[in-house]
Amino acid sequence: MRSPIQIVDAATKELVEAELFDEVTVEHFLETQTEWRPVVVEAAKRMLESGASRDVLPRHFHWDWTSKGADLRILAFSFFGISAKGRLQGLMKLESAARSGRIVSQKGKPLIYVDYLETAPWNIKPLMKALGRGPEFSAVGTRLIEGAVRKSLDEGFKGRLALHSLSTSERFYLDVCGMTAVGRDPAKQNLLWCEFTPEQAETFLNEGAA
Amino acid sequence: MIMNKNRDWLVRRAEQEDGCFVSVGGLVEALEQAEQAPSNVIPFKHAFVRFLQLVRRDRKLSMEQFAKKVDIDLVELLKIETDEQYTPAIRTVHQIAEFLKIPEKKLMALAGLLRVKDAQFQNAALKFAARSKPVERLSQEEQSALEEYVKFLCER
Repeated sequence: MRSPIQIVDAATKELVEAELFDEVTVEHFLETQTEWRPVVVEAAKRMLESGASRDVLPRHFHWDWTSKGADLRILAFSFFGISAKGRLQGLMKLESAARSGRIVSQKGKPLIYVDYLETAPWNIKPLMKALGRGPEFSAVGTRLIEGAVRKSLDEGFKGRLALHSLSTSERFYLDVCGMTAVGRDPAKQNLLWCEFTPEQAETFLNEGAA
Repeated sequence: MIMNKNRDWLVRRAEQEDGCFVSVGGLVEALEQAEQAPSNVIPFKHAFVRFLQLVRRDRKLSMEQFAKKVDIDLVELLKIETDEQYTPAIRTVHQIAEFLKIPEKKLMALAGLLRVKDAQFQNAALKFAARSKPVERLSQEEQSALEEYVKFLCER
């Protein structure tokens, strides 16, 4: 699957042609290691040098997408990437089995679980600020979450979606996407379980549309 | 997959996202898996401990000198070398891998921080752990075992 989409140039606010694809390969993971990781590391170093608290540092400082390469062959997982201007702008791993809703009204109902999601560091404002420049593209996270909701609809899960958000990402999932904060999960490093009901997913997909 | 083509929706969402962090998941999951690691972790850790001891002695470095060169905590190095139940910090293994120029993921697996199902990797770790013995100086066999294992880690 390759779907033409648009994202937004963060500086000019112009729309930029991009592509959402699910033919993710090991090479894409390697690209995150060779292209993304050095930028994240450098930005994190600068943030530390400038006295930033470790709490505000990117939690994916040590992330290793390559360890997910073996999961590419497992049917219960699906992967999506976004490319634009010849570069990988975001990656996501979804799980479509063995997860169910935790919101009281959704208890026991199947959903899509976002196991991993990350955008390229040059699209993250705090990191780019540390490097003395602005982010390149906006709405990459939005497009990935849109893809995850549409996957949920395709699977017959009515848009139900859940994830464990890192503390630095909670604003995005709660305030921007409009997910429900169900609670801290002691079984998952006390990360916040965020969930979309079908109604919230519908609102996310259509709110703001003319 | 049909994606939203509405410009207003996208622009509004982009303004709201505004380059914030969106990351999900992370190293915590790998750590969690390591805590529930299968029984092969102990022999791996034994190989990890012996590997560290031998490379340190091969470089004729005291624990203090090694910790300083690798930029790790001496107390942690002591724990690693004396307590096989101790699980080293990710950063420590990362620093050691960089210093020794050993692939980080393999050293993580050896240290019990990542799960590995590769039978050849497991056999090599067990064989190395079994062949190496703690003596004052490296014997020819230890030297050979060490070199062979370093070669294995780097080549595969």
